[in-house]
Amino acid sequence: MFKLAFLYLGAAVLLPNSVFGLWPIPRNLQLGTTFLKLASSFDVEINFNDAPQDLLDAVNRTKVYLETDGLRRLVVGRGQNDSTAIAQALELSHLTISLSSTIAPRSIAEEAILPLGTRSESYSLSIPSDGSPATLRADSTLGLFRGLTTFTQLWYDFEGVTYTYQAPVKIVNDTPAFPYRGFMLDTARNFFSVADIERTLDAMSWVKINMFHWHVVDSQSFPLDIPRFPELAAKGAYSSNEIYSAADVNDIVSYAGARGIDVLVEIDTPGHTAAIADSHPEHIACNQASPWSQFANEPPAGQLRLASAATTKFTTELIYSIAKTVPSTLFGTGGDELNTNCYTQDAQTQADLSSSGRTLEQALSLFVQSTHKSLAALGKTPVVWEEMVLEHNVTLPETAVVMVWISSQHAASVAAENYHIVHAPSDYFYLVR
Amino acid sequence: MLPLLSLSLLLAATPALAVWPVPRQYSTGSTPLRLSPSFSIKLPGVDNPPSDLQEAISRTKSYLHKDQLQALVPDRGASSAEDIENAKTLNTLTLTLSTTGPIKSISEEAIADLESRVEGYTLTIPADGSGASLRANSTLGLFRGLTTFGQLWYDLNGITYTLQAPFDIVDSPAFPYRGLMLDTARNYFPVEDIKRTLDAMSWVKINTFHWHVVDSQSFPLVVPGYTELSAKGAYSSAQVYTPADVEEIVAYAAARGIDVMPEIDTPGHTSIIAKAYPEHIACFEASPWSSFANEPPAGQLRLASTATTTFTTGLLEAVASLFQSKLFSTGGDELNSNCYTQDNATQADLAAQGKTLDQALDTFVQATHAGLRSVGKRAVVWEELVLDHPVTLANDTIALVWISSTNAAAVAQKGYKLIHAASDYFYLDCGGGGWVGENVLGNSWCDPFKTWQKSYSFNPFANLTEEQSNLVLGGQHLLWAEQSGPSNLDPIVWPRAASSAEVFWSGPGGDVDTSLPRLHDVSFRFQQRGVDAIALQPLWCALRPGKCDLNA
Repeated sequence: MFKLAFLYLGAAVLLPNSVFGLWPIPRNLQLGTTFLKLASSFDVEINFNDAPQDLLDAVNRTKVYLETDGLRRLVVGRGQNDSTAIAQALELSHLTISLSSTIAPRSIAEEAILPLGTRSESYSLSIPSDGSPATLRADSTLGLFRGLTTFTQLWYDFEGVTYTYQAPVKIVNDTPAFPYRGFMLDTARNFFSVADIERTLDAMSWVKINMFHWHVVDSQSFPLDIPRFPELAAKGAYSSNEIYSAADVNDIVSYAGARGIDVLVEIDTPGHTAAIADSHPEHIACNQASPWSQFANEPPAGQLRLASAATTKFTTELIYSIAKTVPSTLFGTGGDELNTNCYTQDAQTQADLSSSGRTLEQALSLFVQSTHKSLAALGKTPVVWEEMVLEHNVTLPETAVVMVWISSQHAASVAAENYHIVHAPSDYFYLVR
Repeated sequence: MLPLLSLSLLLAATPALAVWPVPRQYSTGSTPLRLSPSFSIKLPGVDNPPSDLQEAISRTKSYLHKDQLQALVPDRGASSAEDIENAKTLNTLTLTLSTTGPIKSISEEAIADLESRVEGYTLTIPADGSGASLRANSTLGLFRGLTTFGQLWYDLNGITYTLQAPFDIVDSPAFPYRGLMLDTARNYFPVEDIKRTLDAMSWVKINTFHWHVVDSQSFPLVVPGYTELSAKGAYSSAQVYTPADVEEIVAYAAARGIDVMPEIDTPGHTSIIAKAYPEHIACFEASPWSSFANEPPAGQLRLASTATTTFTTGLLEAVASLFQSKLFSTGGDELNSNCYTQDNATQADLAAQGKTLDQALDTFVQATHAGLRSVGKRAVVWEELVLDHPVTLANDTIALVWISSTNAAAVAQKGYKLIHAASDYFYLDCGGGGWVGENVLGNSWCDPFKTWQKSYSFNPFANLTEEQSNLVLGGQHLLWAEQSGPSNLDPIVWPRAASSAEVFWSGPGGDVDTSLPRLHDVSFRFQQRGVDAIALQPLWCALRPGKCDLNA
């Protein structure tokens, strides 16, 4: 159980509007006004043994960014006015990185997937203005990675010289105010290639976003190729080219992990599942029913037969088999926008309810508990949309993480039920128009 | 001017045709037909056809071969495989130019007087594989027909086919002006981006590129005799349009049936000119900018100064010499009078001449327009110069109506021809939030986002009498680039800009229900041709016309 950290902007010595390029703005930041440039022999020195491969790769990427970003300062003249200062600037030849602990370091990817609240992302960075080596220290390789990210944001280009104008830089224990800083991508309504996802993961890492919430399937398509259930993607993907194979998922998870990003896969249930009917019509109620607005929030309609034992078993196995293949301690089971009319009109569901003597709400709770139990068996924590707490009588584990989306104001109601919250408010953060 | 047919009546009578804009008269069938591997396009009656027509023919054949657009149905056409394989083959499309006298190239036709352009064509494709024929009275008409022909074909397993033969199409535009405006001053767009946009425009028969090339934030145009303007005013030496660039763009456009109408917006929107000629600009970068301009930085031409008037006239004439179009816009929007009230030089000039600001503005505009006329150009202005200022304008001046679609009536009442550029329908930049800083609520002035359906519903004759309706030349979508650049050019323009393309080619009154599947089709074809149109809906919906409608 972790305590909610209080947000504070730290003891920044310089006025906020003088801090350029650093985003998010580091906590405990001090900047100067001295020009400093990278020596042509600039190198990063690792001060410990057994540096994991993904840290070495991150160091390489850092050096590539320093060499190739080529970003000219955003001022009129793009740095021309400082050409003399740049020419006369002292040179920085080394960045030395070290870990506080002497235990064998874990990889960035291992650190990135630790349970929320136990991750160590803090670092301290010092860049003297006299050209003596810059130092980056952290408690974990993940913290070092965060520090390297910050380091790359300090340098500009002028006629091939890589320089900063803000030395000396002193950051003492930059650490995130919140452990969950995510970005959600829906790859079901329209497909996104692995290359597009990886480019997005890179961009996320540049602003220290650490969670990729992958809303991978939905009613319109099922692009996830699950070895145990190949028919789901075979029939439900838009095409055989618009699929994420098991290898693709591994690649994405590795790519993310190496960039300090934990991948939270969401299989939204029991609503938002029409695409499953393409291969398993027996499990879906009101598949493509018309008019769709009476059966779903958007077309096509189709929801899992949550009162059916067979469907509950199917869904539980489906979620289990996917969750097993991804390393995150979190797994999304969705739970938004349930349409009850869909179930009222579904003879099969009505039959199941009457034979089991349950209400829809009771059946829903058992359905959700079943899928969540399989996650628990894997040591994973379920992540659900707010309706599971606010609109339904579902038994959730204490540790469940709830995504508040309908309105930012619902956070209070979810918090009143004592669940952890992730803010995903449609009135602030939805990127659609 | 052909009588306007009601689009929805037309479409109800015949099966949906994916051609965009929808031809004004057409019939289709349900017979499969495919292109033979040796398919060719012939132009038998013309010795030495213009090279741009030959290139257009080549491009058409290339599209037929490379589009490889699979039908927008769930199985992408797989269930029609047998029908397609057994289909008759079409071997030839024969082009006929029904004109007497010397043959003009597409490029020459594209820049003819607006009111006398000839863009119509007739396209016939029999179902039995016997030769298809395309006839027109001009090479430009042939080009429009080739564009239509290129939109009829789909791909299945490497076969280029249609399921809708025979085709009988008689087509011509409802309005002579169908444009797209691009602002290359707030943010720069490389020549390649402009050329790609010209290609896309031609695919939906847009015929005018309104190039808002300079403004207060930057001056990328290299003008012979005035090179200091771009030397000091462009964002960088790499972010300019040289005369060679302009020539390339104009030629590229003309070969695609597009007239390039430049705009040098005056006397407002000229702050950047002060970098090279500070003597000609009032309230340069004055603060707070909102007291002096509609957006930062402030700066307007000293319109009461004879020297400035002479300077501006010379500049406009120099720019005019770079362009082939008969049309030239001098802008004239968003004049800020406080800027002039606070400008000593302007006040001194006004006092010396005994003029009011509006009188001086009149003199200024008359001088610049006379200069343009002397080099054969016809002036186009923003509505303020007709509606908000008592400026004397030549009878053939064209007004761009932008502040609100309802202002068209006021412009028409004064007897000027007009182009619809309504911010409440056609501004592509709206809905992206306010772009100025320190604006916590962050809404843009022209919220909300203008959906394709909104612009598609535009009525060019609203509030106009029948006689005034004759003054409507057409209309356009516009991209103001305060919040846009090359990285979002395609998705922010397409396919929305296609909606005005259809309103002004096919006529207003189209039905969004039946047009959506067709718009998906043209949008997907754009993507096949390398233009990154944005997704309108989930792919699931694009493959199932009607299934994602509100009441489906």
